[in-house]
Amino acid sequence: MNNLFIGLFLATLIIALFSTRLYSLFWWYLLNSLMLSLLALTIGFQTYDNAMIISGSITLVLKVIIVPYLLKVMSQKYNLARQIPPNIKAQYSVLLIPAILVFTFYLAEPIVEVMHHHANYVAISISSLFFALLLIIQQSTITGKIIGFLMLENALFLLGTTATDGMPLIIEFGIFLDFLMTIVIIILAFEKQEVQS
Amino acid sequence: MNLYIVTLILLIVIAPILTSFIKSLKMILLFKQPASLFQGYRNISKLLKKETIVSHESSQITRVAPFLVLSPLLITLLFLPPVMHESSYINFVDAFTITGLISLSTFFLMLIGLDSASGFGGMGSSREAFISALAEPAMVLTIFAISMIANNLGISEASKNLSHNFPQEHMASFIFAGISFFILLLAENGRIPVDNPETHLELTMVHEAMILDLTGFYLMLVEVASSIKFIIFASLFASLFMPFGIEFSAPLALLIFIIKLFLIATIVALIEVNVAKLRLFKVPDLLGIAIVFAFLSLITFYILGA
Repeated sequence: MNNLFIGLFLATLIIALFSTRLYSLFWWYLLNSLMLSLLALTIGFQTYDNAMIISGSITLVLKVIIVPYLLKVMSQKYNLARQIPPNIKAQYSVLLIPAILVFTFYLAEPIVEVMHHHANYVAISISSLFFALLLIIQQSTITGKIIGFLMLENALFLLGTTATDGMPLIIEFGIFLDFLMTIVIIILAFEKQEVQS
Repeated sequence: MNLYIVTLILLIVIAPILTSFIKSLKMILLFKQPASLFQGYRNISKLLKKETIVSHESSQITRVAPFLVLSPLLITLLFLPPVMHESSYINFVDAFTITGLISLSTFFLMLIGLDSASGFGGMGSSREAFISALAEPAMVLTIFAISMIANNLGISEASKNLSHNFPQEHMASFIFAGISFFILLLAENGRIPVDNPETHLELTMVHEAMILDLTGFYLMLVEVASSIKFIIFASLFASLFMPFGIEFSAPLALLIFIIKLFLIATIVALIEVNVAKLRLFKVPDLLGIAIVFAFLSLITFYILGA
């Protein structure tokens, strides 16, 4: 079951790299967060870890429902461009993505050897970190970059849950606070773009 | 042996029904009066009654090629994985043979398009060559990945292995291969993100452009071939990527298999209603996603499975 969610997590991130419309990017972000929260919930129920269950349900409420809704409302309010062609052409992405994958899997190999539990997930979360960076690079509009940043947040969360076998709850609350700050910055950025245009 | 023949006949009988099912489901979703499920059979009988006319410009190829479009697909039907576990199957055929037979059929279809000596035929053939050339590497990679996961190169054995002891640790790899194969199913059968099977608008058609000059009996052969191609892909998807239900008794397993086929047809119809057709030069992007996922499946298998 964990393998299923972690696979779909990476799959949604990769499809987001190819999307050229704003709302479909929001939709892939929503699915990405949904897979993350389901993963956290299943790991929590398997290991009877209450902290993990709490953070999984907060993710479900915050990242799956509130943030995509807010982003959609904001982009409608400020009438942002709905067509966001990526800077990197699709034919280069086709070559770039497998290259990044192979690179990160070899990068993660020493870590995988040290760890015994959930060792495989570390490689996937590091590579999804790189894909989120690629998403930030290839989007030229502010909204695209924001989605890239949020995906980066998701990848960090995944790394945290899998690499340390459940983080202390206080650190996760720190991440969520960070996340809230991000939302504030996003709203400010939207308003700035409104003033500029 | 009996069960094998029953499955074979059932697949041939159900093939036109499945394509008309997609069409009528789409019509229901668009609030139209749905066509009957047996519309495929009605079309076949109508085309059989019509006169067959062959253009003066075309050579002998037009008379021969429709049979050669259909026959590799009929041979492929013999090699499909077993539906029931008592049923006999052919196990010396690997998936590359199936890919080769399907491309042989596509090759003769392209020859028909070129032979008609009209502008449309050549255009359709070049587009089909463009799409199938891009679909080929993804197909080979996907099939290689699923064979590695199932630990056998022959697809019948692979599907049996998958249903008996499913490798849980390769779930991520399995899903990537499934996504890739589904995109290929849409692309190879000319479904909506790649080609619209219903229009005859010159800008969009690929498959229809090649068979524009065919009439009567030859047109029927090609239509039957396209519905059989869909059922080949659907049943490959059903037995390789939905590996359950084979271990029950024969009638129940057969019923589950048919339900799986109709489920795949439903998903295809839902995609066709919800997604706009891609511009022709955007099609490589979609097939690029398929190639990326196939590659991803192989990489995840090697590095995470070890």
